[in-house]
Order: sequence, then structure tokens, then C-alpha cells
Amino acid sequence: MTGFRRLDPVSLLVAPAVGYLGLVYGLPLLLLLGHSFVVDGTPSIASFVRFFADPFDWMVIANTLRIALAVTLVSLVIGWPTAIALARAKGAAQAAILVAIILPLSVGVVVKAFAWQIVLRRDGVVSQALVWLHVWDEPQRLLFTETGLVVGAVNVFVPFMILPIYSVLKLVDPRLDEAAATLGAGPFFRFFLVALPLSLPGIVTGVAFVFSMAVSMYVVPSLLIGDRFQTLATLTGRSFLFMRNPQLGSTTAVVLLVLAVAVVVGSAKLSRRFGGAS
Amino acid sequence: MTTTPGFLDVAAAAKTFGAATVLDGVDLAVARGEFVSLLGPSGCGKTTLLRIVAGLIAPDGGRVVLDGDDITRRPPHRRDVGVVFQNYALFPHLDVAGNVGFGLKARGRKTAEIGPSVERHLDLVRMGAFADRPVKALSGGQQQRVAVARALAIEPKLMLLDEPFSALDRKLREAMQIDLKRILREVGTTAIFVTHDQDEALTMSDRIAVMHAGRIEQLGTPSEIYHRPATAFALDFVGLSTRLAGRVVSASGGEVVVETALGRIPARANLYPGSAAVVGVRPERIRLDAAGPCTVAATLTDVAFQGARVLLHGAAAEGDRVLVEAPSLPDGAGQGTRLTLSWALEDTLVFPAEGEAS
Ligand SMILES: Nc1ncnc2c1ncn2[C@@H]1O[C@H](COP(=O)(O)OP(=O)(O)OP(=O)(O)O)[C@@H](O)[C@H]1O
Ligand SMILES: [Mg+2]
Repeated sequence: MTGFRRLDPVSLLVAPAVGYLGLVYGLPLLLLLGHSFVVDGTPSIASFVRFFADPFDWMVIANTLRIALAVTLVSLVIGWPTAIALARAKGAAQAAILVAIILPLSVGVVVKAFAWQIVLRRDGVVSQALVWLHVWDEPQRLLFTETGLVVGAVNVFVPFMILPIYSVLKLVDPRLDEAAATLGAGPFFRFFLVALPLSLPGIVTGVAFVFSMAVSMYVVPSLLIGDRFQTLATLTGRSFLFMRNPQLGSTTAVVLLVLAVAVVVGSAKLSRRFGGAS
Repeated sequence: MTTTPGFLDVAAAAKTFGAATVLDGVDLAVARGEFVSLLGPSGCGKTTLLRIVAGLIAPDGGRVVLDGDDITRRPPHRRDVGVVFQNYALFPHLDVAGNVGFGLKARGRKTAEIGPSVERHLDLVRMGAFADRPVKALSGGQQQRVAVARALAIEPKLMLLDEPFSALDRKLREAMQIDLKRILREVGTTAIFVTHDQDEALTMSDRIAVMHAGRIEQLGTPSEIYHRPATAFALDFVGLSTRLAGRVVSASGGEVVVETALGRIPARANLYPGSAAVVGVRPERIRLDAAGPCTVAATLTDVAFQGARVLLHGAAAEGDRVLVEAPSLPDGAGQGTRLTLSWALEDTLVFPAEGEAS
């Protein structure tokens, strides 16, 4: 071919997706961004200055990050061993675990959150069980606490930790663990020198998934912790829906967007660094 | 089978997976410094036996004794048994030196000790220049060398190699066979080598264990296996042979006569009259004359030129085979020529037919 490159016809296949996303997502996002950088019709960063000057807003950012971190960590601690078990299970056992992980995804987040409301109440099963086990002296309410929020959110997001780790692990040759054993490595050593580095790309992906979803979740905190505890996402919602303050709403949305993008980009960098391991 | 205590002693090793008996009471004694091949068709249990010795699966019954220690229940990481896996199983997240040094690191050796050992073992397999390469950037043969170096670096009491050359092309394979023998000789390591390639087993081994359906049918030197196969299976699996099915028609004083499609063939054996038998003769033992004492006639069907010699195929009944090796095609012979074949009595190998009690 001489000089100019022609458009690969295959790339036209993404046109519908690009068009759709551009219209219903890209355009509103641009409007939103515009809103946050425009005050009284002139470009300005005044709303950001105001936002970062308010200690309350810093607390909201801290809340958001703390909850997202906790959800990510707990999901990792629960999801990683599950992914290992899933990758090693065979036949019917593996199918059963997979179904147990994927089927709940078909239950809507709202339904799940309402279910957790019942479970976490003062007279809910968790409270009753802990009293019965003498962990607690009297029934307590987990609903509307940070612990309750983390528990509920982990339930919603943990499949997104398990599945990427599992998809990496199932490609790892089980012979590698055996090879390490025959070379004299005990279980502890094998975990840290073989299993861990080999599952790292999956862990990085899972962490990015869960963190970016947890940092921006709206329904779960609305239902499980309520208005007294604000995150960037719930504050954004409140600004638009209750306070009729699109200026503040678009500002918090931009802050949230920057945080989420930073995590996704950072983890993509990390996984490229460890990409040699998969 | 010999029962002299070996350096490695596997006694009555048995393994079943579900309903399938994969190892049916295997005995194997290997002397210190010996190179023993496990030779057998796919699925006969070679890998399973190797994995039991390595401790990667537990046998249902039997014992494994290495250098005087009963290691039957010992976990693999405390066995001192190096394994070269069929697919090499190199650690993809480590470079070549990292792979070779892994075993010493796992043993808690100091870096000052690991470095020189890695270097020495990489030199041994002629991979010294590749220490810093990621293993993904190596060819099959290079990966294979690294796998050998990695297993040798722990200075194991025993090396187990599971078809390490099966993925390599013929030329590389032959070079690697010579290299491996040299390396093991230099280090003096005892080795068990799995293969289903008879030529590989014959050229490399001190002794060969011919495996069939979860048992060792014969354990002997390559020449014993070739010249005195213990079973019809060993005759078939190792080397070429004329092979005729028949029935024992008379037996007396350690000699039998077997009635085959090509006539009656005498042999030295103890078999009951009336029992089904298989007669075998190695192709190079057959002469194209009637000097006897075993003489048959067969029609020439095919001639295979093999360089220095020719291989003559004779007409044979279903399931039989007639193969003769000759320096050259006899004058005037061609397809359809009637050939007279004869051989010495001691060259008739005779076995009870498979499934027949001896
Ligand atoms: N984990 C297992 N579960 C069930 N069956 C198994 C298992 N491992 C091996 N087998 C069966 O045991 C038999 C022997 O297997 P093994 O791997 O020892 O054969 P092999 O002699 O090494 O064959 P190949 O030359 O093909 O590698 C096979 O029929 C195989 O299907
Ligand atoms: Mg095998």
C-alpha cells in the first residue's frame, strides 16, 4: 500500500458501542466536567477550592477511601483462597463453586442490600448468632455501622475479586508447585515464591475491579449506612437529588472520577510490571 | 526379578485410580549410579511410578526405600529427588539463574553459595550464557537443559526424568541424549528415565524396565531385553521381529514344537502341549538358506532399503509378521519370490500367548 493507511474495516465493529457510550456517557460526563469548572458562566476552579477548603469534604474523601480499602482488603482475604480452591477443584465441585459465585450476580444490588438490612438488624440473625455464641452480651445493631456496610459491600463485590484471580490461576501449570516441592521447597516457601508471584496479575486486576466499584458504590451505602455517613458517591447523589446543587455534585463527581482513574491506571501499570509472571 | 537391595528399592508399589489399576505391584531395584529406563506404551503407568518415587502421589500399597531410608510417606520436599518434568515446568516468573538457584534458595543456602553453584550447573548443560534470560525466551531444547540444571543443582540422590526429550526434534534429541549421559556420568547421579521410545532406551540405559499395563514385564540390560525378551510384549515392543502365533503340538525334555501358519517350528521352552504360544525371531538371526534346524518358507511381499542392509517382508497370516534382515536383496528375487528361511534353535524365542498361563 502506498503512503496512506486505510481504516481497518474490522474496527468499524466498535462503532455502535462507541456511538452509544459517547451519547449516553461521554456527553453527560463532558457536561458534568464543564459544570465543575464553570462558576457563574466563567471558567474557574472556585468550586474545587471551596470543596477542598471544607473539612467536612475531607472527611467524606477519607470515608470513601477507608470503606473502599476495607472492602477491597476483605474481598482479597476471602476471594484469594476461594479462587485457589476453585482453580484446584475438579468437575462437579468446581461447577458448584462457580455457580455459587456467579449465580448471586443475577440478584440485583438493591435486593441484596435490602436483604442485608434484615440480616444486620438488632434482631437479625447475625446479632442473634453472636449473642448465642456469647461473643456479645446483648443484641446489637450492625445496620448503619461501617462494619455492616463493609460486610454487605464485600458480599456484592467479592465475585469480582475471585473471578480474575481464578482466571489467572487456572492457567498456572500445577506442575510448577510440584516442581518447587521436588526442589525442596516446603508449603510456606512454595506459597511465597511460587503461588504468590504467579497469582499477582490476577490479584492486581481483582483489586482494581473491587476498589473502583467500592469507591463509587451508591446503593449499598444508601441502604446500609444511611445519610449520616457520606461518601463521595452518596454526596454526589445528594447534591443533585436533594440539595439541588449541581455545582457541588459535579465537583465531587470529578474528584471521585480522578480517584477511580488513578487506581485503575496504577493497577494496570502494576499488572504490566508483573505481566511476565502469567 | 532380582531382589538384591538397591540404592533405590521400590517394592510392590500399587496404585488404582477409581476402578482402574494403574500400577499392579511394581518391584524395581536401582543400583547407585545406575541409569535405568522405564520403557512402555502410553498409559502403562510410567509417570505414575515416577510420581510415587518423587512423592507427588501416595501409593495405595508398597514401599519406596532410597539409600536405606523408607521414604514412602515422606513429602516430596524432604526426599532429595530431582525431577525433570515432561513439559519442563520452569518457573515463568524467574529468569534462568532464578530457576536453577531455586532449590538451593529453598534450602536456605546463602547467596554466596548459590551463585557459583548456579554458574557451575548452567555450564554443565552449556547454558552459561543464558543466566539472565527470562525462561519464556528459550527454545524447547534450552528449556530442557535449564530443567536438567535446576534438578541437578540440588545435588539429588536420585534424578527422575519423565520423557524429557519427547518434544524435541530427532537431531536435537540425539544430541541431548549424549549430553545427558555425559552430565549424569560427570556428576555420578543415579537416574530413572521414562520413555516410550525404544531406541532412546536402548542407547542410553544401563538397564531397561519394560512396562506393560501397570507391571514391569522385564528388567535387564539393553542386550538382554533385545536378545532374550521375557514376554511376547517385550519382544514386540523392543526391536523388530518375525512373530508367528501358534499352538504347542509336542513338548519333551525342555523342547517344544509349535505349529504355526508357516509350519512346525522347534524351540527350547517349557510349555504344555496344546497351549497357545507366540514364536519370535529377530530379523538379523534369519538366514536365506535351508541350513536349519528351524526352516520355513515364505513369499516375499516387500523390500525396505535401509542403507547398509535391506529388510525383507514375507507374506504372513493375520496378526503374524515375517521380517528378515539381509545384506542385500538376493539375486533375482522380487515380489512374489519364494524364500527359504532358517535359523538356529536358540534363536527361536517362544512365549505363552498373552492371557495364557505359563
Ligand atoms: N490422576 C489420575 N486420575 C485418574 N487416572 C489417572 C490419573 N493419573 C493417571 N491416570 C491413568 O493411569 C494410567 C497410567 O497413567 P500414566 O500417566 O502413569 O501413564 P504413562 O505410562 O506415563 O503414559 P504416557 O507415556 O502417555 O505418559 C492412564 O490410563 C491414566 O489415564
Ligand atoms: Mg507419562
